[in-house]
Amino acid sequence: MSVAPARAARRLSLPPSAYGFIAAALLWGGTMLLSDGRGGIEMLSVALSFSIFSVAVGTGQMFVIASGPGNIDLSCPAVITLCAYVSMNLMGGADGMLPVGLIAALVLGGVIGLVNYGLVRALKIPPIIATLAASFVVTSLAMWYGGESTVRPPQALSDFMIWRVGGVQVALILALIGSGVVHLVLHRTVYGRSLLALGQNARAAQLAGIRVGFVRMTAYAVSGMMAGLCGFLLAGFTGGAALNMGEAYLMESVAVAVLGGTSVAGGRASAFGIWGAALFLSLLVTLLNSTGLGAGARYLFTGLTILVVIFFATERRK
Amino acid sequence: MLAQREEGSMTKTSFNSGRVLSAGVLSAVLTVGLGAGLFTAGAASAEMAKGDTSGMKIGFSSSYSGSSFRQVMNRNFEETAKQAQKDGLIGGYGLVSANNNVTEQAGQIQNMVLQGYKAIVILAASDTALNGAVRDACSAGVKVVVFAGSVTEKCAYTVNYDWAQMGKAEVDYLNGRLKGKGNLLEIRGIAGDSTDKDISDGIHAAASKEPGLKFVGTVYGQWTQTVAQKEVSTILPTLPQVDGVVTQGGDGYGAAQAFSAAGRKLPIIIMGNRYDELAWWQKQHAKDGYETMSLGATPSVVEAAFWVAQQLLAGRDVPKKIEVPLLTVQQKDLDAWVKATPKGGVANAPFTRDLTSQIIDANEKGAALPAIPTPKS
Repeated sequence: MSVAPARAARRLSLPPSAYGFIAAALLWGGTMLLSDGRGGIEMLSVALSFSIFSVAVGTGQMFVIASGPGNIDLSCPAVITLCAYVSMNLMGGADGMLPVGLIAALVLGGVIGLVNYGLVRALKIPPIIATLAASFVVTSLAMWYGGESTVRPPQALSDFMIWRVGGVQVALILALIGSGVVHLVLHRTVYGRSLLALGQNARAAQLAGIRVGFVRMTAYAVSGMMAGLCGFLLAGFTGGAALNMGEAYLMESVAVAVLGGTSVAGGRASAFGIWGAALFLSLLVTLLNSTGLGAGARYLFTGLTILVVIFFATERRK
Repeated sequence: MLAQREEGSMTKTSFNSGRVLSAGVLSAVLTVGLGAGLFTAGAASAEMAKGDTSGMKIGFSSSYSGSSFRQVMNRNFEETAKQAQKDGLIGGYGLVSANNNVTEQAGQIQNMVLQGYKAIVILAASDTALNGAVRDACSAGVKVVVFAGSVTEKCAYTVNYDWAQMGKAEVDYLNGRLKGKGNLLEIRGIAGDSTDKDISDGIHAAASKEPGLKFVGTVYGQWTQTVAQKEVSTILPTLPQVDGVVTQGGDGYGAAQAFSAAGRKLPIIIMGNRYDELAWWQKQHAKDGYETMSLGATPSVVEAAFWVAQQLLAGRDVPKKIEVPLLTVQQKDLDAWVKATPKGGVANAPFTRDLTSQIIDANEKGAALPAIPTPKS
């Protein structure tokens, strides 16, 4: 991907990360029409609180996808589940153990990310295969470890996830601040610049003195950690770790990253664009649910709408 | 996906003790269920077969093991089979799981035939795609028992719930509680799944007779608590007051969370026998007298399938279709069931060889299904 044409295209049109927000705004308006203006604010508020989880896992996915063509992490759902089980079990419902649980989720997720990268690098397995294979192993561990039951979170974690000050969800604010940090890391640090440079052209990046292997390795580790964080928070929000809790986040993590303006070819990422994409996907569900259409029609519309947004959000060379 | 279906489905089912259901609902459930379940019963010796099966192996081919429900099911099978082997009732057992891949499951069934299994119980990943493998097994003289679902191949025996009746039982309960008038939210399972369709059809068939009940929304919860919570949360702002929620299992607690988080008045949410659901209901009942009912499948249905297979091997003439009862929890038995259900698990109760034999009898005669006892509190 050459940089100059991309810049030219961006000057002519909106940044790719804007389309998720635009689509979300359109959907919100449409749903308001259908529901006679009922519940507009609540709808947004619900969409935002569920976006926290897809943004967390999607941000990790974004690091990996941005690190170059073909890089993807399909182990997210399994990592979410395993980290949720491990952290919930460690805490055993005790509020005082919260930091331990959080750190365990992050570390375990990070380690799995490193293993993913190891498979890709050392064994030269394509990332799509390597992370899928890893996800089977991780899922088996979760089955063996968590197995037959749902493990409840400490009350303080559940309370925190729904804690609102002046009507605003605190976890949401923290998540937005987190995205701000990610934004700065991507665009204002040597590491972030290296990641994007590597995604655009690994050979050129290497010649420019960037430690390609190290940068890509950290991208996979970040992805694992973010999935671990997602599992920790999700278990707190939904009442516990369960074996199938991560399933919904496989496609979702990729979808929010790509719809949010991450280039599938690597080299471009947007920390805030993911929020637009997550809102869009969540509001799309609200809209389709409130139409009362049959399941087939809902899937059809979901697919078509995503195609339309991707069409606008993706840069195409003439 | 299919895998989940079961779990969902199963989760919903429950065993029920005759005494559990409110008279009307229960007897309706059982009689109708049975009525429907009155398939051509072979002229059968209506008692347990004692033929020597001590040298015969029974296998279990599961479509999927990726949920807590299925994990419990696998354990139930292994424990039951192990004990049966110790008691000299079978010669061995084996379990394979196919990760929801029908081709893989068909291959596993063929392997089991080659390995000399005399009977195979199957939780099928598809109601049509396994037909070839099932037919081959039958022609090789292997008894095939498909449970918690079905295959269209005629040579297989089926051990299943009456899903439509489950939907009807939910609507009947809500109709009674709401005195015939109210707004309902329907949480379905997975689109395109036959169990989902059967339950939903049962719900709508029953509700169509009650003009006062109105469906204000439908979401697909995929029999998964996290998904159900999200789907219900996102549709709630667009809905008027909701008075009742019909569910398919594994989704009641997520729905309750969604209503609480939205600061909405709690509707009557039908639960699906998960520990979380029962514990939440118990807590809510202590707080403000909240009442509902819970029903669903049990992981132990695999035991019923196992014993049907054993009885077939022992020479009993068993009807091709055996209906098994759902586990239903009513208010008065709630405390006992919460206590008996493992934390974070699902309400379960064993299908023993005796009980299974009685169930076969009931299916042969078209009589009411035997009751599954409420645990002693």
